[in-house]
Amino acid sequence: MYQFMCFSRWKACASLASFLIVASLGIPGTGAAQTTTVEKLSGKLVITGASTLAPLIGEIGKRFESLYPKARVDVQTGGSSRGVADVLQGLADIGMVSRAMKDEEKDLHAFPVARDGVGIILHKENCVQALTDEQVVAIYTGKIANWKDVGGKDAPITVVTKAEGRSTLEVFLHYLKLKNTDVKAQVVIGDNEQGVKTVAGNRHAIGYVSIGTAEYDTSQGVPIKLLSVGGVAASTETVKNGTFPISRPLHIVTRTPPVGLTKAFIEYAQSKAVHDIIKQQYFVPLVD
Amino acid sequence: MAETLSRPQNPREWLALVLVWGAAGLVTAVFCWLLGDIVWHGLSHVSWTFLTAPPENAGRRGGIGPILVSTSLILGVCLSVSLPIGIGTAVLLAEFTSNHSLFGRMTRRSLDVLAGVPSIVFGLFGNAFFCKTLGLGFSILSGGLTLACMVLPILIRSTEEGFRAVPTSYRLSAAALGLSRTTTLVHLLLPAAVPGLLVGLVLGVGRAIAETAALIFTSGYVDRMPESLLDSGRALSIHIFDLSMNVSGGDANAYASALVLVIMLLAINGTVSWLAIYGLHRKIVAA
Repeated sequence: MYQFMCFSRWKACASLASFLIVASLGIPGTGAAQTTTVEKLSGKLVITGASTLAPLIGEIGKRFESLYPKARVDVQTGGSSRGVADVLQGLADIGMVSRAMKDEEKDLHAFPVARDGVGIILHKENCVQALTDEQVVAIYTGKIANWKDVGGKDAPITVVTKAEGRSTLEVFLHYLKLKNTDVKAQVVIGDNEQGVKTVAGNRHAIGYVSIGTAEYDTSQGVPIKLLSVGGVAASTETVKNGTFPISRPLHIVTRTPPVGLTKAFIEYAQSKAVHDIIKQQYFVPLVD
Repeated sequence: MAETLSRPQNPREWLALVLVWGAAGLVTAVFCWLLGDIVWHGLSHVSWTFLTAPPENAGRRGGIGPILVSTSLILGVCLSVSLPIGIGTAVLLAEFTSNHSLFGRMTRRSLDVLAGVPSIVFGLFGNAFFCKTLGLGFSILSGGLTLACMVLPILIRSTEEGFRAVPTSYRLSAAALGLSRTTTLVHLLLPAAVPGLLVGLVLGVGRAIAETAALIFTSGYVDRMPESLLDSGRALSIHIFDLSMNVSGGDANAYASALVLVIMLLAINGTVSWLAIYGLHRKIVAA
């Protein structure tokens, strides 16, 4: 990719120097291989992190590449924690973090690109229509283990939770003020769609997934239903107007203030030009 | 065979017969159900466009062209590294070390342990060693090399068994004829050991092509057409996993991709077996 770079005066020396440093450290694909001129952007961006965000950023990357044919956006996945770790180690130019930034991550530069709500789902044929927060806490801590205790049929509850390191888990637990060790779950899952499939396949299951995913699957006839939380219906609409209580910002992060290609990409990902992609991937664009 | 067996004589034999047929029938039924399910859901989506077009909208629409290319390249790297090393090690273990020597026993034991290591461990190792230490980054090369590490134990152990299955009389006859050890190895033992090598290869390719955990951290998630071995490229198995578990509405294309994966596996196994049997093994059988 280096031969495509349009070197110009100063930047040639700067990029070359940083390229040599990085090459000698044996870390390819970091910020060094980028160069900017006023109208042309080239080089490779490596983005890693949350699997929730990966399809969205991948699609934004493709449109970005079509605008700047010499730029390459490589999106890798593996979870928010990985995104943060890779950015800190310099293995990635940009990290994807599907939650609010933590206190110990405050020195990273975070840029919100969209929002996502986390909704509680049951099987469609479950006759329970609503659960209070206290009931949800009792179910997830194992204090209530039968649907008849919350107004349902006499059947054991299958509790579905997300694996450690998943942001959906952190957002959900934060809202209910629980610790991960308090949760007594029968099924531990990874990605959202897996959660939907688990609940759709088990009439007595309860789970929580991204609202966008659940809304799409409901519209496709998958037998699940979203419960309202605190009296607010779970939908992308209530996430957008800020009334739905369990929601999370989706961030992209960098270690240093972004420049060049990184800066251009982040500005593009935050612009209105990608709102259609955000909706297409069942997330909620930020109102600006 | 059927003619040589007499009909069951008493209830116990009947019971045994029913159990054996039942077990075989169950295994076949599970396989047919699985294959039928994939063909039923996937066949209508597979077309020439699907095989060549790039994925669109996170894989919900479009095809799997770049993903097929990446998968083939990853497998190519894996086999071109693991075959020579695998056969070499197998030759050493079977022909040049005694069955009971400490070295032989230790090597075999460690290979058996490696063969049972979960693939995610190979993935993390590959990420730490090939991607970071060697600086190959997320690339088809890293992915292929990681798979090679994973496939090697299986390949070595079954090739070694292949060599051991060759009767000692072959070696003695060759020595009596004054053939050198190298000549014996290349022209006699290697062709004779092909069945063992094939078993290892089929198992190894099967494990490699179905791999997700070891590849997601090494060859990566990028679904663009790769331009070199140093580009990141998404393997078919990762694409299927992502479409079915991470992308809502990706099921139809996940089924179609799974069908392509199964066909690809059968085609590779068929070709490799044909090449090995007609290219090498026939030499010895015809002789």
